[in-house]
Amino acid sequence: MKSKNPAKTNIIWHRRLGLSVFMVLIFLAISGFALNHSPALKLSKINLSNSWLLSWYGLEKPLIQGFQLDNKWFYEGGNNLLYLDSEMIAPCAAPLLSAVSNSQFIAALCSDALILLTKEGQLLESFSQLDGLPADAKAISTADNNLYLLTDSAVLEFDPDSFALTASSSDAPLPPIAEPLPLPKSLEQQLENTGPSISLETVILDLHSGRFFGGLGVLFMDIIGLLICILSITGLMAWIGRLRQIKQ
Amino acid sequence: MFDKLFNSYFCKVIFTGLLATTLLASTQLNAKGVYQSGPDFVSEAFAPHQPQPKVLWLTGPVRQQAEKILGHKAQGLRVRYHQYGDKTAWILNEIGKEMPITIGVVIDQHRISSVKILAYRESRGGEVRYPAYVAQYRGASLNDKHKLDRSIDGITGATLSVWAVNKVAALALYYHSQVTDQSESTN
Repeated sequence: MKSKNPAKTNIIWHRRLGLSVFMVLIFLAISGFALNHSPALKLSKINLSNSWLLSWYGLEKPLIQGFQLDNKWFYEGGNNLLYLDSEMIAPCAAPLLSAVSNSQFIAALCSDALILLTKEGQLLESFSQLDGLPADAKAISTADNNLYLLTDSAVLEFDPDSFALTASSSDAPLPPIAEPLPLPKSLEQQLENTGPSISLETVILDLHSGRFFGGLGVLFMDIIGLLICILSITGLMAWIGRLRQIKQ
Repeated sequence: MFDKLFNSYFCKVIFTGLLATTLLASTQLNAKGVYQSGPDFVSEAFAPHQPQPKVLWLTGPVRQQAEKILGHKAQGLRVRYHQYGDKTAWILNEIGKEMPITIGVVIDQHRISSVKILAYRESRGGEVRYPAYVAQYRGASLNDKHKLDRSIDGITGATLSVWAVNKVAALALYYHSQVTDQSESTN
């Protein structure tokens, strides 16, 4: 019967383990280094918005629509900011419900605030729910340079100077409410960098911990951790064995 | 033996203490919220009077100084405020870490009369809304460098929110000086 040499078996398993985990070990070392120096490398500032990656994380790129007023496009860019063409103007909680223009100003109704802009698109002021904007405001309209706010139950006249809301006294019908339209291709291309995104730091951290691949990924990393422990022990045993051989 | 230990008075005290700590921690973690509306804040500041809103236009040197105090671009071309005599009330927004904090400041004769957090939207750092913290601003005024004339004790874990409140307090004092100096010069 062939007797097994424990030292030889140890070395064989040490080699096998080393070969199995060396790729993952190198990845863990590099990703760990990157995470340790994340602030210096500004990994949290690098945003990834690849559609495959977003769908992997359960995020979807919103369909962005806007309003065309005075040959300019107003839209919420999927990041709770209001844009005029490609320029960011003001915070605006999605969705952008309505936008109108008259000879004095431009007004945009977001879900949390009514935003007043100059004709050139500069932010004048915001009238938020904290200031008294009704929570059920759903659209705005303008007639004879007056601004009207439509809620579920009433039509209110809004004074942009005093910010007072009063029941509309006009019996004349309001012009039809403008519906949002798809953005032109040129703007859509610019919007590639806005909307939901995931920081490179999050992706590296999830890959490092195995969370990127769900529960199985975490289990895999646990096994790799265990194998690394065994690798260290077999390596130490081989080294001690070699020392003994030299002494003998 | 274990039954006796678990039913002991000591064990009940420990359990109640842990429960109270957990509840306290959960209220501190949920710092987000709207605490007072703008109209209510103004009514409270000027009661029983009801001053009409006025507007300060942010143009030229006023905008430059406002941006210097904030350390970034000032949003909007105009700022709304209420005034009755030498007293003004301002509702201003400033970003703490990522979300805007809505802060109400009442100023009487160039000194802060009260500071109140009207809405806090960050998930952490909401301790700035506590009366013991905002009471530090009472009586503060601007020095020659357009900074608060006193140091405000910070809050661990709420540094950015503290900075935001400091900036808004200084900015409201500056805006107050602009609108009251204007009205004094016209009188």
